[in-house]
Amino acid sequence: MKRMKYVKIIFIVFTLFPFHLSAETAEEKGLRIAKASYENGRGFTDMVSDQLMILIDPKGNEVTREVSGKTLENLDPNDGDKSLTYFKTPKDVEGTVMLSHTHISDDDDQWLYLPALGRVKRISSSNKSGAFMGSEVAFEDFSGTDYRKYEWKFLGEEVENNETFYKLESYPNYENSGYSKRISLIDNLNRTHKLDFYDRKGELLKTLYLEDYVLYKDKIWMANTMKVENIQNKNITILKWLNRELDVGINKKDFEKSSILRLAD
Amino acid sequence: MLKKYIISFLFLFLQYLVASQNASAIDYKAYGFIQPEITTFLNGDGRHDQSNSNQSIFVKGTFITYLNDGDQKITINTTGRIDEKDSERSYIDFQKLKYEQYFDDITLKIGNELIFWGVNESFNIIDIINQSNLAEDISGTKKFGQPMISLNYNHSYGNFDLFIMPFFKERIFPGRNGRPRLALEVDKSTVVYESSSKKNKIDAAVRYSTVYDDYDIGIAHFYGNNRSPELNVNPLSQKLDAYYPILSQTSLDIQSTKGAWLYKLETLTAKNGEERHFGIAGGTEYTIYGLRETTSDLGIIVEYTFDDRNDFAFNNEGVLALRWTKNDIKSTSLLAGLVADMSGSSNRFFAEFEQRIRDDLKVFIDMSINGEIDADDFTYAFEEDSQLTLKIAKYF
Repeated sequence: MKRMKYVKIIFIVFTLFPFHLSAETAEEKGLRIAKASYENGRGFTDMVSDQLMILIDPKGNEVTREVSGKTLENLDPNDGDKSLTYFKTPKDVEGTVMLSHTHISDDDDQWLYLPALGRVKRISSSNKSGAFMGSEVAFEDFSGTDYRKYEWKFLGEEVENNETFYKLESYPNYENSGYSKRISLIDNLNRTHKLDFYDRKGELLKTLYLEDYVLYKDKIWMANTMKVENIQNKNITILKWLNRELDVGINKKDFEKSSILRLAD
Repeated sequence: MLKKYIISFLFLFLQYLVASQNASAIDYKAYGFIQPEITTFLNGDGRHDQSNSNQSIFVKGTFITYLNDGDQKITINTTGRIDEKDSERSYIDFQKLKYEQYFDDITLKIGNELIFWGVNESFNIIDIINQSNLAEDISGTKKFGQPMISLNYNHSYGNFDLFIMPFFKERIFPGRNGRPRLALEVDKSTVVYESSSKKNKIDAAVRYSTVYDDYDIGIAHFYGNNRSPELNVNPLSQKLDAYYPILSQTSLDIQSTKGAWLYKLETLTAKNGEERHFGIAGGTEYTIYGLRETTSDLGIIVEYTFDDRNDFAFNNEGVLALRWTKNDIKSTSLLAGLVADMSGSSNRFFAEFEQRIRDDLKVFIDMSINGEIDADDFTYAFEEDSQLTLKIAKYF
């Protein structure tokens, strides 16, 4: 009973002095919003989808790549998700399978099956800044969605297209990143709409737009279109998620190295 | 003969499986490519009077279907070649013609299969399940499908594989007009086996493999007809007689992946006929990502192999290679390097370039240049076979 009393007192003290909240630093506020934004997309358990990657060069030439994949959410908050990707086009890579076990602070574990070699190879995943399949998307853009991979700072509010966004700055805290900082615009439902990437020299490199947000399971927001505009080389990459399904009940063992051969040709 | 019946039976069984499905429910993938190749030999006509050029067409077709919600899988993977000069190099092979049944932790597999063991880029000394096709590629990396019944048990401690392999296939060597080829022809009519059941011997193998942190580890044992025969000159026929001893090989392979560094090791001890030998091969691969602020990567590969048999062709060899990957839309890449006998009796330079030139076309340029080779070295017969090959693959 005595303890209850203390709790009550503490509660009263906190409600009486709301200025305590405003004492939140820009870093704390940035982290809080980034965490909420990240958690917006969590709780999916597992996911299957087909993906299109459209590459457009400055002359307007277009190439479309198709992959299908599944992802297993890691319920351990201190470790990353697992994903299995099957490549359909271009035709010379058809049948390629990539398995990736992402980690929050360590390098990811990645295995690749190439039909031309007919063997499963463990590959290095330290090429964080490398381009994925010749696109404007870097490996770290896929594996680096966890808010804990960055230091955050709240910069203020910004109005764009009559909508007010939180403006956040983030700096990668892992090695070998190709970025010096990122600036994100997040709406009041904690969905990221725009992300500017600055290269190691501090120059604006590319802008990512997240569109076609869909609400899954009444609580999870996922963007089904992402568009990356590279400011420096003028290339554009569009990613589209088709037939996305959540919580379909995928076997955990499908994400083990030995299971790659069940998908392989 | 029996093998033909079994293949026909397997085909009928697969047909039955496919036919027994609800037609609209069948989901399959089918793809492949056809690849014309032109080779020119840089030293003119060959040491064994072979032509200074060759043309060839290589094809590969793949068909995969999953049945009963993915519990069963059928894979057909066929390769073949029509070669202008060497009839031994013209062939068709079912690399994979297999039926798989997936239980919770167990996979049962019946049919032709390719099984690769090892981690190295160049010296795959422990890879033993499949027979090599030396007519297709003298370095032995091209293999034939091996008929087998195999069981895989996926336990939390790792994977256990059992392979039972009937129908031994003799090694295929380049024919008279093949280039490169051995100095003498291999006589197909005088093949001798150590095993009294000869080619009908049923071979067996077990393998345990696991992933522990940054380490991928495999331990395996093989018992059966050696895929690699001993070749002895027959003074009467002036041909090579092939002798296949029984091989009992225990092997270990480890890869450690530490950031941009890969460390690789394959080692084996084996009793081949009456004699025991030891082999070790390994090395490292380091990749520089984003070479000079571009999107290109440069990999540096160094590997070495040692075998304690003095008369073995690859008992003390090293390779130094560079792999450049441009990471562009065209998937441009170049692999080039030097293979050298560390005792100094032979060396070879090679380069392999590839680039996608259209969504369904890819071009490959392979070059192989032989340096000085001592007359007593096994590769002396290939000394004048430096070549340049252009391949264009059309994908379907």
